Amino acid sequence: MSPQPLGSLHGFAVTFRQIFRKPITQQYPEYKRPLYPRFRGRHRLNRFENGLEKCVGCSLCAAACPADCIRVVAAENTPENRVSAGERYARIYEINMSRCIFCGYCEIACPFDAITLGNEYEISEYSRDDLIYTKDMLLAEPRKRVTIQDPELFDTPIPYYRAKA
Amino acid sequence: MSTPELVTVTIDDRAVQVPKGTGLVETALAAGVEIPVFCYEPRLGPAVGACRMCLVEVEGMPKLQAGCTLTAQDGMTVRTAQTSAKAADGQNATLEFLLVNHPLDCPVCDKGGECPLQDLTFRYGPGRTRMTFPKLTFDKPIPISPTIALDRERCILCYRCTRFSEGVSEDGELVTVNRGAQSMIATFEDEPYRGRFSGNVIELCPVGALTSTQYRFLARPWEIQNVPSVCGLCPVGCNIDVTTREGKVKRVLSRNHPEVDEGWLCDKGRFAFSHPHARDRITEPLRRVRRRGFEELSWDDAVDEAERMLRAAGTRIVTALSGSETIEQAYALGKLLRQGLGAHAAVLPEETSTALDALRLPLSAIRDAELVVVVGDQPVEERAPVVDLWLRAARRRGAEIVTIGPTGSIQTPPGSAPQVCRDLAAENNELGRRLRGGQRSIVIWSGPDGRGGEHIAALAHALGLADVAGSGAFYLPDTPNGRGVADAWSAVADGEPADPEPIALLIVSGDEAAANPGVRALAERAEMVLAITMFQGLAVGWADLVLPGTSYLERDGTYMNLEGRVQRLRRTVIPPAPDELAWLAKLAGRFGVELSPHPSLVFEDVSARLFGGLAFADIAATAALPTRAKAAPRPPLPEPEPQLGGDGLRLLRYRSLFSGAAVERVAELQFQRPAREVEISPEDAAAKGIASGNEVAVRHNGTSVALRATLNRRLAPGVVRIADEHAGDLGARVEVGRA
Ligand code: SF4
Ligand code: SF4
Ligand code: FES
Repeated sequence: MSPQPLGSLHGFAVTFRQIFRKPITQQYPEYKRPLYPRFRGRHRLNRFENGLEKCVGCSLCAAACPADCIRVVAAENTPENRVSAGERYARIYEINMSRCIFCGYCEIACPFDAITLGNEYEISEYSRDDLIYTKDMLLAEPRKRVTIQDPELFDTPIPYYRAKA
Repeated sequence: MSTPELVTVTIDDRAVQVPKGTGLVETALAAGVEIPVFCYEPRLGPAVGACRMCLVEVEGMPKLQAGCTLTAQDGMTVRTAQTSAKAADGQNATLEFLLVNHPLDCPVCDKGGECPLQDLTFRYGPGRTRMTFPKLTFDKPIPISPTIALDRERCILCYRCTRFSEGVSEDGELVTVNRGAQSMIATFEDEPYRGRFSGNVIELCPVGALTSTQYRFLARPWEIQNVPSVCGLCPVGCNIDVTTREGKVKRVLSRNHPEVDEGWLCDKGRFAFSHPHARDRITEPLRRVRRRGFEELSWDDAVDEAERMLRAAGTRIVTALSGSETIEQAYALGKLLRQGLGAHAAVLPEETSTALDALRLPLSAIRDAELVVVVGDQPVEERAPVVDLWLRAARRRGAEIVTIGPTGSIQTPPGSAPQVCRDLAAENNELGRRLRGGQRSIVIWSGPDGRGGEHIAALAHALGLADVAGSGAFYLPDTPNGRGVADAWSAVADGEPADPEPIALLIVSGDEAAANPGVRALAERAEMVLAITMFQGLAVGWADLVLPGTSYLERDGTYMNLEGRVQRLRRTVIPPAPDELAWLAKLAGRFGVELSPHPSLVFEDVSARLFGGLAFADIAATAALPTRAKAAPRPPLPEPEPQLGGDGLRLLRYRSLFSGAAVERVAELQFQRPAREVEISPEDAAAKGIASGNEVAVRHNGTSVALRATLNRRLAPGVVRIADEHAGDLGARVEVGRA
């Protein structure tokens, strides 16, 4: 026996009161909450405007990565096959998304702003193999676009999230 | 030797006692203080003070001093950047100067992450650059040889590389051209840097100016593992660090063993590591099928097949060993065949003898010698390259080096080395007298037919070198581990090796064994041949069953080098097929022979018989040399060989350093392989009207080989010299004439 038998009734009363309130549940994926601009999602490898890759394959991101999920194998640019500016490019660039903790250290380590973390977070797959992102996947623009937070769009009812307008 | 006088030096308020004359950098290290350096490298000779990184404040001297050029003097008070703001300022400025024209392309540079310039800039240098104007640029990278790339923009002109080329390997091929800020490193006329030791400059360069083309952009320091092992390509047994990434060998670095290699490697050892990935590598067991060539078979079937062959052959087996097996492999093979089958006959890679054990010295003793006499037909640098560096070091220290042979400083005809030994041992021989009277006299046999060192040991004993601590003798064998293999083979059993007739089964172990003409003759006589080989080489042509072999980079075990030092080989990468020990153990089980597949356990067995119970785990990373044996056989002086009669010139064949199954399969080393040429003495050339560069025909008994003539001043008249791979079937006497 609980020391205060009325305590349980008290609890039920709270539950009962909630039934008549407007729910704050949001129907994902029909409704997607906008993201902060600096949200760290799936990575992107960037290019220069002329199409050359920014990444030179220096592996500094791999060195910085606490989850050890980046694999870079570099090779030399040749006049016939120029991939990046300079002498060296990443022949293989892979990120194992199932290990990534989205800390963004890779982006901080990169001396060329070649890797940045984007906003996409819908990257679940049915197989772990599919979570190994290769260079062409990372170079491509993400398929699914996600809205970025805008105070106008902002409608989450929890005050904590409200932008200080 | 008298103990040197000790002096007291104060470094950063810490007093330390060192022998007078110790370099200040080492003195500081003894006090636990670091003086950062770039150009200072004691192995390259006297300090040059080129980079000014080592600036320190010395009490009583008005200006900052280059610490590397100073030696410890009594009462000296030194302040480094740790305690002197002036020194710290100086070093900061030095680094700023060094970086003025440095491209700072660290993310692209192969040295990045293991670069002294990066490290020292981080610790002592300015945090930001003031260079807002354009930097000096050069063409880059310049391949100064197929193995080395030069990036002049990164060079800080420390002159380590040119000092090595000039003062260590003494090839003088790498030089500085122009002056002042325009100085740059170059080779003459843009010829490739073709030394035997060129790769060492890559490791010496404190920045990324000299890099390896093979390692170019392959890995960064945090992505690699370095496995300490030893080189298995020649009998010196240089200590190496093998860099692997993702299960593949990417480069070989030296690992300084001060008694064996002093941190130098030859280019074969450094650059031939890619041979395990050769296209013709055998990775599956192969069985000959009538008229259809070979078919692959599973390992289980292969072991069955081998068992069937062994059972059918019984004791009528001959085993040809190559001298590149580990001690454990040779022992395992011996145990299976000798104990399991009673098949004792073997073709050992070379004769070996324990006679030298009483004359044992570390190789570094050559550097300290007063007089070194090298006898034999073959150049030291082709057989045991690093020994050549020790000899050069000895000469620079004032030792006299006398070479007696067809290319020696005293010229004798080929094959006369036994006679030379007898002459030197004679009472009235002047050179012999000096060897006998010396405190540090060393004799070296460099050539074939040395009876595993017996001849040179006989000479050394006759000269009394065994009783002088600094004197001794070396024998330069043909194969990397010939002695270890022969000892292990004979340690297994003491059965009599009767020559079986007819030979039912020939076992060819290793690619090098197949190159032996004697083995080829045996293969023709044998009913069956089992080859253990890495590549599609000669032995595969004869074989009925081929089992894949492994490289020294893929094995665990031990090798014995020419000094008699037992050194650890470590597996750096997993071989594409199970290693020899694994299937030998399986096979041995079928014959009721107990054999472990683990080298450590096999070694225990061998060690109990050969090395006084030395434990596998006790072989240090820099292995120790056993002490001189008290009781070793004292062979008699060699009988002189009858000089070959006949007309024509004596043909001297030699095996180039850059030959062998591994080197042949490394594209980057092809430029180092011996050219198709015949060396001829100027006298003979003049007599025959041959000029350097002429196409000539070398004839013998109806065979003729077309080669290009080069004059070799060091060659004895009456002798011509051709590298083994170009000499074909030529015999010992040849005619040379314009083609
Ligand atoms: S975000 Fe963090 S865990 Fe993910 S790849 Fe980058 S460094 Fe590694
Ligand atoms: S190339 Fe390297 S070793 Fe040679 S002078 Fe320049 S920095 Fe020194
Ligand atoms: S280390 Fe002393 S001047 Fe270079």
